[in-house]
Amino acid sequence: MAGERNSIIISVFSTSSGNGKTITAINLAASLSCEGYAVCLVDLDLQFGDIVTYLKLEPKHTIAEAQRDFIESNGKINAIDYLTTYGHVSFDNAPSITFSVMAPPRMVYDAYNIEVPVVEKLLRDMNYFDFIILDLNAAFSALNLAMLDMSTIINYVGVVDFLPSVKNFKIGYDTLIRFEYEESKIRLVENRANSQKLISGNDVERLIGEKFFHRLPNDFPSVNKAVREGRPLMYAAPNSALTKSFTELARKYTRHQELIQSHQLGAAPVENNKQSWISKVMNVFFG
Amino acid sequence: MVESSPPMLETLSNTLKQAENFELLSTYDNFNAALWQSAIYNPNLFLMDIDNEEVLNNLPAFVDIFPEAVILGMMSNWDADISYKAQKMGVTGCIVKPFKPSEIVESIELYKKRGKPKPSQIVTFFSPKGRSGRTTLAALLALEVAQKSNEAVALIDADLQFGDLPIFFDLEPQHTVVDAVHDVKLLTPLAFAPYFHEITKNLYLLSSPERPEYAELVDAQGLVEVVRMAGHIFRYLFIDLPAGFNPLSIAVSNFANTNFVVAMINTGLEVLHMKRSLDLLRTGENRKENHCPIFTRVNPCNAEQKAKLEQQLGSPIAAIFPNEYNLVSVANSGRILYGLPRDTLMMKTIENLAKEIIAGKL
Repeated sequence: MAGERNSIIISVFSTSSGNGKTITAINLAASLSCEGYAVCLVDLDLQFGDIVTYLKLEPKHTIAEAQRDFIESNGKINAIDYLTTYGHVSFDNAPSITFSVMAPPRMVYDAYNIEVPVVEKLLRDMNYFDFIILDLNAAFSALNLAMLDMSTIINYVGVVDFLPSVKNFKIGYDTLIRFEYEESKIRLVENRANSQKLISGNDVERLIGEKFFHRLPNDFPSVNKAVREGRPLMYAAPNSALTKSFTELARKYTRHQELIQSHQLGAAPVENNKQSWISKVMNVFFG
Repeated sequence: MVESSPPMLETLSNTLKQAENFELLSTYDNFNAALWQSAIYNPNLFLMDIDNEEVLNNLPAFVDIFPEAVILGMMSNWDADISYKAQKMGVTGCIVKPFKPSEIVESIELYKKRGKPKPSQIVTFFSPKGRSGRTTLAALLALEVAQKSNEAVALIDADLQFGDLPIFFDLEPQHTVVDAVHDVKLLTPLAFAPYFHEITKNLYLLSSPERPEYAELVDAQGLVEVVRMAGHIFRYLFIDLPAGFNPLSIAVSNFANTNFVVAMINTGLEVLHMKRSLDLLRTGENRKENHCPIFTRVNPCNAEQKAKLEQQLGSPIAAIFPNEYNLVSVANSGRILYGLPRDTLMMKTIENLAKEIIAGKL
């Protein structure tokens, strides 16, 4: 059903946590919003999602209520009723931005009840956004694979300062390729690229056989400040190199969109083969 | 030998009579006769049919009267419940019938290496989110307990998609937890022991699978069976679980004596995640009091800070660990066996925690 979906869906994925997925997702959303796009940020780290705390939001409804109402109303729900708005009104030179957030369940237990088809339906409801940013957790789960299937771009983040992390980054990338995600769809993003470490990003590029699409510099104090203040880096640390790097990353994605628009193709992504997690696993085992 | 089935008694007796290195002193078909008469022969090995409930329940009498003897429980099929019960009553270990004389020798060697004839101590490492220091902690504690207790310790890498333990020790083991779960139903403890790769003296590893998708081949019940048979072979099990809640982790942690819940202090919000995890773990039908919080990279790492964290959390904390930058480069180069920064607060905290585990205080 190409054409029904208009949003560009960018999933922020990695294979070990603590890699800066949530910080990347929030600041990518903020930068895209700053460029004037309608953006929705979806927290799909259902058990321990941090977007709500990092932005000091108090959501009225979360994805848990969407799931509950979906069951009770036999599917007659709309994602818009479960979104929370993040807004920053600026009275100085800084820009004002606003974007929507789909919050994760408040109780860890509720995370178990979220069904993949319901999340897929919610994302389809959101097709009026220009960009949907998905903050995924670090695992190959049925939900994450369904989300990667729906994604226009997989923003694959890694901090490659520690041998196990490098191994997991490589294994995760190889797995994505084995699961037949197009290489062009996967964008490698190195986080904390300039921090003091024993392993260089170039070594990792050689190991993986792909270049990094983007490199985010290390700026822990600014990130910490942003989290404490509950707002994106563009306000907490407007002059940080990291803030600028997020703007550049967002521009790399908007250039892509502008190109599509200039060719008047519409931004509808090609419908992927709907393969389940199990069938993918079967493919790997039995060809 | 006490065996209640006459044909089995016949078979096993014949086997043992032909073996050069065994002298079959006497055989019994019931436990009472054995207990009263066998002392006359001054035996050093008992083979007990523990499928027979009466024999099973009276094992403590044999353990008391013959403290120096090896007591092997014989079972027709491997049964985790019966073997656990036998181990609790003090048998040296269990053996599956029928067996060759060489298997008796090998079993005795295996169980002597295991250590004290007591059930295993099972410790899991769980973290709400990754990058918590969970795997490092599991590896260091296992190593310390193996050295201090002089008993057999197994590390089980149950972080099925992204297990890091093989790389920590710079190993490429032949068997993984996937093979173990697949084969365990067909194996005896003796046949299962080689699935664990010897890392160093007293320390063994059951490795995580090579590819993330192989995790799908491991089900909760299968993993529990692996853990239970491993508990018969090793005195201590240290199980590294993946980040976040999943049915496998919950199933395994139900069999553990201690579940460490590990979080690394970074932005401070980790206390919140810890609280949410403990709320879930300590309520509901699986309610247990053995979930012990641990915080890593605590700075300053002192009693005052611990008290502060305990107050925020509303719960006692098992231990706090400082950051130890040297450890990163040690783990990075697979030198964990050789290059540990010994005289640091980090390692002292590990040593103390290991002592508590060995003493069974946790």
